[in-house]
Amino acid sequence: MTMTPRENFFTAMSHQQPERVLVDMGKHIGSIHKKAYVKLQQYLNDVPMENADKILDRMAQTVVPDEALLQRFGIDFRWLVPNWVQVKERTDVDGYIDMWGVPYRATADKDHYAIDVLCDAPLKTATLNNLDDFNWPDPYDPDQFKGLREQAESLYKNTDYVIGADAIKAGPLMTALQMRGYEQFFMDLIADTEFADALLDKITWTLKAMWTRYMEEVGAYVQLAYVTDDLGSQTSMLISPKVFRNRLKPKMKELYDHIKGLADVKLMMHTDGAVLPVIEDIIEMNVDIINPVQTSVQGMNNTQFLKQQFGNRLAFHGAIDVQHLMPNANLNQLRWEVAKRIHDLSYNGGYIIAPCHNIGHDISSQNIVAFFDLVKEFDTDPSALDKVLASKQSYFANHN
Amino acid sequence: MDYLDNIYEAILDGDMGIVPTNVQSAIDAGIPVSKILIESMIAAMEEVGRLFQEGEYFVPEMLLAAHSMKAGLSVLQPHLVNTGIEPIGKIILGSVDGDMHDIGKNLVAMMLEGAGFKIVDLGTDVSAAEFVEAIKEGADILGLSALLTTTLPSMESTIQAIEIEGLREDIKIIVGGAPVTAEYAHQIGADGYAKDASQAVKVAKSFIN
Repeated sequence: MTMTPRENFFTAMSHQQPERVLVDMGKHIGSIHKKAYVKLQQYLNDVPMENADKILDRMAQTVVPDEALLQRFGIDFRWLVPNWVQVKERTDVDGYIDMWGVPYRATADKDHYAIDVLCDAPLKTATLNNLDDFNWPDPYDPDQFKGLREQAESLYKNTDYVIGADAIKAGPLMTALQMRGYEQFFMDLIADTEFADALLDKITWTLKAMWTRYMEEVGAYVQLAYVTDDLGSQTSMLISPKVFRNRLKPKMKELYDHIKGLADVKLMMHTDGAVLPVIEDIIEMNVDIINPVQTSVQGMNNTQFLKQQFGNRLAFHGAIDVQHLMPNANLNQLRWEVAKRIHDLSYNGGYIIAPCHNIGHDISSQNIVAFFDLVKEFDTDPSALDKVLASKQSYFANHN
Repeated sequence: MDYLDNIYEAILDGDMGIVPTNVQSAIDAGIPVSKILIESMIAAMEEVGRLFQEGEYFVPEMLLAAHSMKAGLSVLQPHLVNTGIEPIGKIILGSVDGDMHDIGKNLVAMMLEGAGFKIVDLGTDVSAAEFVEAIKEGADILGLSALLTTTLPSMESTIQAIEIEGLREDIKIIVGGAPVTAEYAHQIGADGYAKDASQAVKVAKSFIN
């Protein structure tokens, strides 16, 4: 009997072998840039795609993928996306101010938006005494989750896909850095721990309240909740493991425990970068799945080790690099890499294969389609894995 | 502990409240400002770079040290003018066209300043033409930064523009940023690659000496 995506997911999450390797695409930090989407639309002319203008994440200018595309790629997940609320449009430039008061502006080519470094961070001059006076986002905004209950219920009753609650786009560390200004908050974490703790508390409280509202709406229908933050850089942790453990870990655990207490969900945490030193901590924070396993950085590239070391306690999501591999690899190298990650990470379940981050417009339609087709190819013929790996066509072994 | 050690330790600890006081004490004690600058302040930042590379320091510790150095420099600056001490080189920095990210670049700027370079920071989303104009005003090194894989091509086109203007021989180019690799740096004709701020100082110094 063929298992449904949802049954496969539960099997993989209980660290048993599912029938197929689960595959994902379409959440924020995990979709396709609008320019790549337009090219893909032309490339896949037999797939009805109409969403090129339907922006999923305004900052990254990615698209809400069409249902037809998700089906074409065999995606096992369907993501609910909270509504974009309490955002103010800027009148001085093409830009906006998000619910946390953080100003963004578009690049000249309108490829993406980034934090406007010409403006002051909203909490630049805040002190412990006036932190509460800030115009904090309203976590009970009825519009934030409007329509999601109906969408979740319909997906639950009418499909077999895994339904995921996509993130309220914020995590304690990233939000604090953005609200306070990166440099200042990095320094606060050491030089003004009282302020740092108070700010993190305030953010964590706000996020918890939002998740309470979110799960009231969709908790009965979702199997997965997705939280985001960033703890690592390209070469190391952003902050020392010690500072992470003292300042961040308690707040993040509090948030994650709260979410898991609201609904029967698996928790997936996003963090980019070289986070090997804190994976044990991430497990202690009751995270079930780590995303994206950024294989372009030191420590996270050794997926064989990650699985051996943590695989019976943590599932992995991602591992297909979009910084170097997907933009540059030829088909043989892409095939080798897909085989390698499936080989290393998928035994005893616990692996959801996916690109590590958004698919940028520097990645060809050919490679996007090839990636998803390769996953299916190995599903049909798992014995091909060893043969492909023997070809030694590793992209990373030949580039550094 | 002597005056120079006090400054050195305070910078390593990132204690920006105490560094200016320590620098003032050293000046008052009659220690030559060049000695204060080189043997305590620049030496401390060199140690910060080493600790970062060793994985003992992270971005917050590095920032605190750099800001402490700056606080100390502001006390030292009026005295430096009369000594004839010159920066060890002039470096133009910027995030390339289409890229508005600046955290990494700012860190690089601070560490280079801490090593004794004069920095001309052109900011983010800097066009090739703006880099070219800045080079015409004279500099030893150009540092280009990019965070996104999709803005990497701007790095290459900036170098091409510098070549077309006939300025390529006048300047050493160092590139860095998340998606940049040594291989890519070589491929687009840069002179050097730095994977982080500490490395950037090493590479920049190697071009000066």
